[in-house]
Amino acid sequence: MEERRTMQQSPPGETERKVAVRLSGVTKSFGDFAAVDDVSLDIYEGEFFSLLGPSGCGKTTTLRMIAGFEEPTAGEISVAGQQVQGVPPYKRPVNTVFQSYAIFPHLDVFDNVAFGLKRAGVKGDELRRRVTKACGMVQLAGYEKRRPNMLSGGQQQRVALARALVNRPKVLLLDEPLGALDLKLRKELQLELRTLQEEVGITFVYVTHDQEEALTMSDRIAVMNEGKVQQVADPATLYERPRNRFVAGFIGQTNVISGKVESVNGDRVLIKTAAGAEIEAIAHEEVRVEVGAEAHLAVRPEKLRFGNSGDNVFAAEVRQIVYLGASTQYIMKLADGGRLIVYQQNAHDATVNAAVGDEAQVSCDATNCLVLGG
Amino acid sequence: MRGQKSGWSLGLAGLLAPVTLWLGLFFLVPLLLILAYSFGTSGVYGGITLGFNPSNYLKVFDPLYLEIVVRTFVIAAINTLICLLLGYPLAYFIAFKGGRWKTILILMVMVPFWTSFLIRAYAWVVILNGNGVANKTLQFLGITDGPVNLIFTPGAVTLGMAYAYLPFMILPLYAALEKFDPRLKEAAQDLGASKWHTFWRITFPLSMPGVIAGSILVFIPSAGEFVIPNLLGGSRTVLIGNLVQQQFLQARDWAFGSALAMMLAALLLAAILFYVRHVGTDKLEGV
Repeated sequence: MEERRTMQQSPPGETERKVAVRLSGVTKSFGDFAAVDDVSLDIYEGEFFSLLGPSGCGKTTTLRMIAGFEEPTAGEISVAGQQVQGVPPYKRPVNTVFQSYAIFPHLDVFDNVAFGLKRAGVKGDELRRRVTKACGMVQLAGYEKRRPNMLSGGQQQRVALARALVNRPKVLLLDEPLGALDLKLRKELQLELRTLQEEVGITFVYVTHDQEEALTMSDRIAVMNEGKVQQVADPATLYERPRNRFVAGFIGQTNVISGKVESVNGDRVLIKTAAGAEIEAIAHEEVRVEVGAEAHLAVRPEKLRFGNSGDNVFAAEVRQIVYLGASTQYIMKLADGGRLIVYQQNAHDATVNAAVGDEAQVSCDATNCLVLGG
Repeated sequence: MRGQKSGWSLGLAGLLAPVTLWLGLFFLVPLLLILAYSFGTSGVYGGITLGFNPSNYLKVFDPLYLEIVVRTFVIAAINTLICLLLGYPLAYFIAFKGGRWKTILILMVMVPFWTSFLIRAYAWVVILNGNGVANKTLQFLGITDGPVNLIFTPGAVTLGMAYAYLPFMILPLYAALEKFDPRLKEAAQDLGASKWHTFWRITFPLSMPGVIAGSILVFIPSAGEFVIPNLLGGSRTVLIGNLVQQQFLQARDWAFGSALAMMLAALLLAAILFYVRHVGTDKLEGV
């Protein structure tokens, strides 16, 4: 248990917060294949929590187990302090916004939104008031009598959201709700969803494969791959301190350099690459390093700069220059053949004058070179 | 653009011509003939004099014949209901639990069609008569002491009809349920609806097109059926179909036979319009 704590990197002080959803050792197997493999998570009340990972990583299965559509093969799930194994979906204090919206096509917007309340026995004026309020909240006021087939994708999305939120669930589960929308609308709805979540204060568990979306919206993110949780952290920590190669590569762009550990001094590690270059790097306490062992380290492209002012200096050849507006991306080739990507902000004092084919020096500080765990 | 369009119309007209000719010659003309006959006067030794004689229609309201009309519609309605009650669970099972066996299961629903309809109807005579399999089984199990009268009852007619028309109910129901998005069931359950509620609020209303199509496909031929009531109903369970057949072939009263046929068609049309309007999906949504 203690080990899990460290793995999740819960910020100190947050441990007293009330847990909305707890997964302990949850596994879901389909035949021999473990879609979700020993996942333990604490999701706190009022939190916007994302499950992020490539398709097939087990994030949707995890969500479906919380909703009750799948039962875990092993492990325990509790929602608001109550064990929910064997509890059917209609008796769980959670509601889901489905990827396909799953709007009832034979009911109008009002009846779609009222569906859950009617089942809970809400009637008459109270029903009308709450449905109207929910429709207003998602900017669908006046659309109550519309049929789903007369709504755009974005509007259907809002109906699905209102239909779930109107029941005031303890936890709202969202399964890639913006996946089918075009980019512009998706960006708009991301901010709207975030604002809405802050307004209603309901715990959101959000499944997405889009790292940018997860970074934009979430309080905390669990990065998943091959059924396992790779890291749980807030967006900044996830980006600045990725625990392993998978997280470093999945969140944003990164340069991975491999070598052997030469020496360890506190959190300072000296790594020697196959080409003989020595690189000074940082190893956080959760990463195990042994002298003589193979190690990988990550440097973000924007932490590299031209010149030799940093702790680690690399000599490389400029192979390609991609102008991106606010920044320029330089793709460099190291002496040992490895690739290095460097971002330079096109700020007012930008001084880089590298051209394709030039030999150049780029450098970074040791604190920006992170030793990655397995 | 215009030339191409009219070219298409010509092609389409060419394709539609055979069916138009066919329906015109073998459906519309006979229908108009029957309509004309229904207002004619039958001769004593057969034959028909055309004219305007509404008495054929008034004769339908004779209690003797009215009873047959009512019985026909009651049996057809009961048959439709039985087919729906038997067919829905099966169609539901095949559509949602059939998995990779779906196609084979649906094919099996159609297996009875591989045997002639007449042979299947006769098979029920063999099963239900005094010395038939049904009576022997009942006696063997000790439920009855001697042969009981199973054949030549309204029950036998209904049984035979339900057997004959069940596939016509199952196929459209299956087609409607097969298209159903199972995620809607999850959504309903997620919103607090039990399986029972999910079925009645979501699955069933959305399968209404299949229910309506199946009901019509079963009800219309049931109401016009004459082979099954002839074989299994005997002289006591006469339906309109039998009556029409008798008027044309035995009584040689073509005028009354035609009037009966027109009445049947009009009543069926009215019944279907009423059904579609009142059992249509719109009515079920507010539930």
